[in-house]
Amino acid sequence: MDNLMSEGLNLMVFGMGFVFVFLTLLVIATGFMSKFANKFAPEPAPQAAKPAPRAAAPAASAGNDEVVAVISAAVHHHRNK
Amino acid sequence: MESLLNLWHASGIYNITPGQIVMILVGMLLLFLAIRKNFEPLLLVPIGFGGIMANIPEAGLAFSAVENALNLGGPEVIASIADALGVSSADPAALKDAYVNSSAKAHTAAIYAANDAGYSNGMMYNFYSVAIASGVAPLLIFMGVGAMTDFGPLLANPKTLFLGAAAQFGIFATVLGAVGLSTLGLMDFTVQDAAAIGIIGGADGPTAIYVASLLAPDLLGAIAVAAYSYMALVPLIQPPIMRALTSEAERKIAMVQLRHVSKSEKVMFPIVLLILVAMLLPDAAPLLGMFCFGNLMRECGVVDRLSDTAQNALINIVTIFLGLSVGSKLSAEAFLDVETLGILLLGIVAFGIGTAAGVLMAKLMNNLQGGNSINPLIGSAGVSAVPMAARVSNKLGLESNSQNFLLMHAMGPNVAGVIGSAVAAGVMIKFVG
Repeated sequence: MDNLMSEGLNLMVFGMGFVFVFLTLLVIATGFMSKFANKFAPEPAPQAAKPAPRAAAPAASAGNDEVVAVISAAVHHHRNK
Repeated sequence: MESLLNLWHASGIYNITPGQIVMILVGMLLLFLAIRKNFEPLLLVPIGFGGIMANIPEAGLAFSAVENALNLGGPEVIASIADALGVSSADPAALKDAYVNSSAKAHTAAIYAANDAGYSNGMMYNFYSVAIASGVAPLLIFMGVGAMTDFGPLLANPKTLFLGAAAQFGIFATVLGAVGLSTLGLMDFTVQDAAAIGIIGGADGPTAIYVASLLAPDLLGAIAVAAYSYMALVPLIQPPIMRALTSEAERKIAMVQLRHVSKSEKVMFPIVLLILVAMLLPDAAPLLGMFCFGNLMRECGVVDRLSDTAQNALINIVTIFLGLSVGSKLSAEAFLDVETLGILLLGIVAFGIGTAAGVLMAKLMNNLQGGNSINPLIGSAGVSAVPMAARVSNKLGLESNSQNFLLMHAMGPNVAGVIGSAVAAGVMIKFVG
């Protein structure tokens, strides 16, 4: 019976200790993570990334370069009239 | 006349036992609490209804094929099962014990003998095996909870993790209480039972069911009912404890606005947590792994359809099966026992101690930081009942200071409590499983 009680005490001391150790490590890891995240992937990044695909899209269709050049020349010509 | 008599002998009224009547009334009480008093209706409606169905006489919905054969079969059926188990007894109760403790080979032989006699698993027994015995339902619910959880407040103030840790003291204190009751000879709990009962103090339904299914399947019905009932009672249990442990001046403390948390932090957090679990406590990996997975689906922003399913359709489906399966464990012989009373009592003690430990930890942190930055009311949210416990903190804060909105500050310890109770569950499974 005493054995059961000491088993319970053991469980309490180890268990509670472990929960605290784990969450302390998590606090530390989270702190590092936040620093890392804000240094290497700062918040405005997604906004800066937006214009990029737009610029990239026409470039992807390299075969159309000539067409684009012709059309823009035509537009330019038309506007200058 | 003969067939009329047969019909009468097959009727529920003829076969019902007093225990079944009591359990059907218990099921109706749960339905009443859920429907009229709005106690966790999403869980208690299926649990209560399942409890009633499990106690329908002669139907044997909650029993395995062998148990049904032993309960309902004639002497020749019982003899064939005794033969399969290699036991000479003809007493059904002794045979059930032999069946539970039999080797895999004898176990299978007994199932075949029961099947040959025309008995099969009850419907709710099948639900239980698929949903709970396999561990699937609590884990899927945990995934859904992960998909619903916003770690923003926690990431803005990671120190609130300590409050989530402190509130787990209720779990371990209750383990000691349960073991103490056994030592005094009042109840008969093993360490495994004590561990499963303690988890009620984590105020986390799926975690409690998961641990109980691994450590103490016999007590699962009572533990699940206690866990969900007390979660519904959070707004009644916590405030008196919180008021008793804090001063008016402390309750008035206004906390500074939380900082903005970037998306990349939120995406990285579940992965960091998972790595930490993998390194330190693999036994908590099923629970926290599914939790992190659900949260990653939510935050990564590229699988909105999956995240949406996890937190709505899937969690609802799983809740139905989980509730019915828990109900199947509300059989008279398992539930009508002095130990159930002990579980209900210890559960509420666990809850109270957890709340108190959280508040005291918050007071300590407040004093260490100069006494005017952390409102101790958020400590009680360290028990994980999300988001009920945080709402209670908010409500008490507003009572003392009508401009003091603590909800977001209390959400930090609240989700920390979910992590804390899952870690505590992992420790229990590791040490006594």
